[in-house]
Amino acid sequence: MAKNKIAIVDTDIHERVQYKDILKYLDEPFKHYITNCHWIQEKHMPYTQPAVAGVDRADAVLPDGRPAGSDLTFMQKQLLDDIGHEYGILTSALDPSPSSMHGWYEMATALASAYNDWQIEEWLEKDDRLYGSVHIAAQDRDAAVKEIERVGSHPKMVQVLLPIDDIMWGDPFYHPIFEAAEKHNLMIGMHHNEPPVYYGKWPRYFIEWHTLIPTAHMKQITNMIFNGVFDKFPNLGLMMIEGGFTWVPHIMWKMDQQYRDLRHEVPWLKRKPSDIFKEQIRVTTQPAEELTKQEFTSLIEQMGTDEILCFSTDYPHWDYDSPTRALPNMDPDLKKKIFAENAKAFYPKLPNS
Amino acid sequence: MKEQVVCKTTDLEPGQMKASLFGKQNVLICRTLDGEFYAFLNQCTHQGAPLDKGMICGATTDKSKPGEYDYCRKGEIVRCPWHGREFDIKDEGRMLANPNKKLPSYKVRIENDDVIIYK
Ligand code: FES
Repeated sequence: MAKNKIAIVDTDIHERVQYKDILKYLDEPFKHYITNCHWIQEKHMPYTQPAVAGVDRADAVLPDGRPAGSDLTFMQKQLLDDIGHEYGILTSALDPSPSSMHGWYEMATALASAYNDWQIEEWLEKDDRLYGSVHIAAQDRDAAVKEIERVGSHPKMVQVLLPIDDIMWGDPFYHPIFEAAEKHNLMIGMHHNEPPVYYGKWPRYFIEWHTLIPTAHMKQITNMIFNGVFDKFPNLGLMMIEGGFTWVPHIMWKMDQQYRDLRHEVPWLKRKPSDIFKEQIRVTTQPAEELTKQEFTSLIEQMGTDEILCFSTDYPHWDYDSPTRALPNMDPDLKKKIFAENAKAFYPKLPNS
Repeated sequence: MKEQVVCKTTDLEPGQMKASLFGKQNVLICRTLDGEFYAFLNQCTHQGAPLDKGMICGATTDKSKPGEYDYCRKGEIVRCPWHGREFDIKDEGRMLANPNKKLPSYKVRIENDDVIIYK
């Protein structure tokens, strides 16, 4: 693949840790629980994986058998150098996210810290192009705030990552997390973990689940907006990662309509929901549905701004989007915005040259 | 007409596939379980993934009824390493979910133990 002529900021790259790599960053007794007591993280997803290599691109699995995304040199070669990324934002695969773990908050908190240290040392400080996400175990809110205080000022940390799962993050209980993020010029990145998409349950087939992930994104946005998070924290931004984007006009129209009727209940909203969306929420493009240029252009028009979409590959996952093939041809100015400028304008800590 | 030896028949067991070059084109040579050879452009029609990094396998066929799987065609289907689209080796490389799309293919001939492809 030839190098792209335009700059690319990739807003969703999954580096992956193996427990043995993270152990040296983990405090006791948590190290002991993993090495001697064989603790492993719970998995929620009930499906046998439907693609060729589980949830990974089969050609991203390392030649020595290590999982996709676990080696920086390989990632540089297959992704960053090959495509010619200007910047990439790491969104991890600590599976499930510490904030999605059930019970044992201490372990979740310890894992998040170890992960942050590993990410900084092994990735962010080894490749100028890579920027990172602060991991927290949000269920222990106060420990999560401490973790943001501890690593949030690292120059290459650009956001705090929260999973889209079965916790609605707009609840005032979590607002101190947003306050800490805002204080450190960090945005919030939300990436789906394993959200139950059917009324709190899993559908029968993976294809149903994967089709409906954007509904979980819409729920979080609706929840965050009507709980007043964006009014309370005007400098906070939210990046919705890996839900595609064709649903954006729908949820804007729906929220605006509801707001006209029911504003009485949420008087703290000073702007109509679609304006809050346009100012403080961004959406990564992958997994992009196959649209014609005309369909794509019309969709952007329906959003009322071309500043929402930020390109992402989701490397090294099975539903990776190629920067040259996933989106239709578009006008050069729009292309520059979607592939780089929108993300640069959104993340205060990403160099905006 | 341009033709070229792309591999030896012994390079591929039945049910295997490999990448090779036809001039400058990256091609995929497939061998089905009956021993036949087939050749396609080694690039997925969707987003261009290298198909040799995928899988040669069977398919859950359109004979399946809701809740009941019919799995057969072993060694006759190529699945893409990225999004998993399936292409039918024995049906001109047609995509199972949309048979109007097919992988560009090449003609294949065996001479001695050479696999030769041509346009
Ligand atoms: S690139 Fe082959 S299925 Fe998408």
